Amino acid sequence: MRRRRFFTWLRQPGVLSAMPATLFLTVGFIGPLVMVFAYSFMPPRTFSLAQAPTLDNYFAVIHESYYISFLWSVWLASLTVALLLLICYPIAYGMAKLFGKWANLVTILVAVPLLISENIRLFGWVLFLLKKGILDGTMQAFFGIEMPSLLYGVPVIVLGLVYVYLPFMLFPLVIGISMVSDTLKEAASDLGASRWQIFREVELPLAMPGVLIGAMLTFILALGSLAEAKILGGQAVIMLADDIESAFTFAQNWPRGSVLSVLMIVFSGGLIFFLFRRIDLDRLLGGR
Amino acid sequence: MKGEGETPFLQIRDLVKTFGDFTAVDGISLDITESEFFTIVGPSGSGKTTMIRMLVGMDSPDSGDIMLKGRRLNDVPANRRPTCMVFQSLALFPHKTVGENIEFPMKIAKVAPAERRRRADLLLEQLRLPLSYYDKGVNQCSGGERQRVALARALAYDPEILFFDEPLASLDFRLRKTLEKELKDVHRETGKTFVYITHSLEEAMVMSDRIGIMRDGHMVQVGTPAEIYNRPVNKFVAQFMGEVNTIEVTRAGDNTVKSLSGDMVYTVAGDSFDRFEKGFLVIRPEVMKIGPAAEALPNRLAGTLFNDYALGSRIQYQVRGADDSTWLVEKLQDNPFDGTLGDSVTIGWQPKDSILVMD
Amino acid sequence: MKSRRFSVSRTLIVLWTAAIVVFLYIPIVSVVVASFSHKRYFSFPVTKWTTKWYEKAMASLSVRDLIETSLEVAVLVTIFSVVLAFFGALAFARYDWKGRKFYQKIILLPIFFPQAVLGLALLLWFSAIGVTTSWHTAVFAHMVWIVPIVTLIMSIQVYSFDPSLEEAAYDLGATRWQVLREITLPILSPGILSGTIFAFLLSWGNFPLSLFTTGADQTVPEWLYAKMVSGYTPMVPTLGSLTVGSAVIMLVLAYLVYSVIRRRTLKE
Repeated sequence: MRRRRFFTWLRQPGVLSAMPATLFLTVGFIGPLVMVFAYSFMPPRTFSLAQAPTLDNYFAVIHESYYISFLWSVWLASLTVALLLLICYPIAYGMAKLFGKWANLVTILVAVPLLISENIRLFGWVLFLLKKGILDGTMQAFFGIEMPSLLYGVPVIVLGLVYVYLPFMLFPLVIGISMVSDTLKEAASDLGASRWQIFREVELPLAMPGVLIGAMLTFILALGSLAEAKILGGQAVIMLADDIESAFTFAQNWPRGSVLSVLMIVFSGGLIFFLFRRIDLDRLLGGR
Repeated sequence: MKGEGETPFLQIRDLVKTFGDFTAVDGISLDITESEFFTIVGPSGSGKTTMIRMLVGMDSPDSGDIMLKGRRLNDVPANRRPTCMVFQSLALFPHKTVGENIEFPMKIAKVAPAERRRRADLLLEQLRLPLSYYDKGVNQCSGGERQRVALARALAYDPEILFFDEPLASLDFRLRKTLEKELKDVHRETGKTFVYITHSLEEAMVMSDRIGIMRDGHMVQVGTPAEIYNRPVNKFVAQFMGEVNTIEVTRAGDNTVKSLSGDMVYTVAGDSFDRFEKGFLVIRPEVMKIGPAAEALPNRLAGTLFNDYALGSRIQYQVRGADDSTWLVEKLQDNPFDGTLGDSVTIGWQPKDSILVMD
Repeated sequence: MKSRRFSVSRTLIVLWTAAIVVFLYIPIVSVVVASFSHKRYFSFPVTKWTTKWYEKAMASLSVRDLIETSLEVAVLVTIFSVVLAFFGALAFARYDWKGRKFYQKIILLPIFFPQAVLGLALLLWFSAIGVTTSWHTAVFAHMVWIVPIVTLIMSIQVYSFDPSLEEAAYDLGATRWQVLREITLPILSPGILSGTIFAFLLSWGNFPLSLFTTGADQTVPEWLYAKMVSGYTPMVPTLGSLTVGSAVIMLVLAYLVYSVIRRRTLKE
């Protein structure tokens, strides 16, 4: 009887459609993650899975201060999210409510850079901010001011993170704000609320799903980022992903790299899990 | 009426459909005659859409049979059944023109292009659409025109039965009235069997040969509009049409019933009294009399006029009875009641004008 | 209409948006500018403009190899991803089935995942099952990240797809296959087109996944990164600009195709 019910469920068009992608991701995504998890319990500097599990690598995270890169990553990611919320909210508001037909143009303009390799874009910033680069060169030529080197520090890394992940904050915010109905705000105003009160009591709560998704997405992506710190920041900050990469390549220590990856996965996964519990994707994306 | 021995047209037997714990259709049996206009009426949630979807083939029943001219349709998939549905949203294909929409079923049936075009033009004419609409985009047609295109497309399939899922629900009053009449005309012209569902009994009365009233998955009453109106089988059907006066009564004596409090006795007429023990007495506002005309009636009571409403062609008076009950009386606008609010009035009705129902 | 009272904030918002859009394009413009500079090591203002780096790039065999690899990967990724994502999007937004809510969240997970870590995890995975990395494995790796994204993009369009259209076609005698061909695919074609463009360009420009999974082969972004970090040559901005240029051309073409489809769909 249970078998029959299983096959009836299986034959539904929704389930059949979901099969290919799901199977693929199980092999391509879940599989590797399980692998990483398994490796994290292997003795350090080994490459095979056929060994007795150990917690050495987990202890090493604390002892050998790998948690520093973790803390830096969390700190920079948080800073990025905060800045992006402030930067993008007005734009998202404009796109959802003010720009009308022009909003599509802004969408395209913001989306196009995403389709250009991240490295190229970051490299463009290098060219811009380099000594004798575009900014420095323009300043010298027109104003006679010599700019200090803006690269290879922490601020420029944040600039890079804000730059790269801006669309990932903007688009969810637009969706969130467009869910706030104008009539509700008018009603609140009619009942005597000030602009700030309307924002706090009506707009922000209703736009919250979009805000949460934007914040979560940008945080997690920034947390796991690598290129900005390396290309723009030089050696100023080592991000968690950098440590992971080093462990897998130079240090030839797969188990250690796996532990750090697990750390990142658990942390991000926890946040995602928390977020997804509270969001109804059908309403957000489908407007139903 | 069909003679004996002829195969009945559409027969539905003990149809059941459940969704988890919820029973949408609870053992319905129904016979539909060929070429009739049958309307299923019921409030939302009564199961009428589920019912129709099973007849068309979109959902399959948990148990029960659907027979068309003796042939069991249960296992025949929707695209092979000689049935066609006009959806509530009309489901016109936005990426095809009016002509392409109408020709769609013919194209599927591999009819030759020239023949398709000929038939499409005929349908356009029949549905009173200009031939030039053939190349028009469906999104540029008005609401009424889209209805006609949807109907033309369904007719192009040449089904034995056409089903309609509340197609006029989203239209404004005037357009609805116009299309109701047109639908009736098309029904007469094509001679096909129409099965229509709606939540408005009023709409059903206008168009149908017979009506089936559905509630909570059951078919409560099936009959002609006159039967439904004059001999509703229970309180639900009686009240479905609109506001009525209802009193709970029990059998009293010879052709009389008394109210629950015991102090009012009413005379009734008709054979529905024979088996009556207890139930309700239903009197429609338009058969009630008010003022001097009521004073000689066998069923009458005194009350106070406390409200009046203009309802277009009629005026409705609200009268409060001695026991704080509210009575509704309607009169035609050109023959209003001459009195003021607050007056004491007599209201009453003829025994033959009341309806007795059991529950 | 917004009252006068709001026009100040509206103007500020418009100005702010414009400023941010300009900000977004600064590095892209910088790259293009640098590709035309004559000097071997970039400095601004540009004293001498030239196109010689482009000529060099076109003539170079290694550049051609890189482009070929990137192209092979991108084309395969696009084809497979669009097919998987099309059905994935139908499952996401069109059909109602038990387990759908869970599926919706699972399928979007890879988007939230840091690509570098994913790339490394896949590297582990490939070596564990004994597969040598090459551009073939890169196709697989790209898809893990791109299929969810394309599914999401297509789902947004599928949400507004009216299911009664398919039912009506079926009711009118069409087979399931005819319904797909005559109704579903044409109406969803804009979403399919956007998905295709995104899949191609995201694969074309992808670095973190390629880095760990291409093995001996190398894609354009990998090469750019290697040169950026050590061994800078003006070919870097040149190749970068070519990438930008080709992306722009693709988008313009896509827009033209899209307008044609739209016009046919709405029958103006």
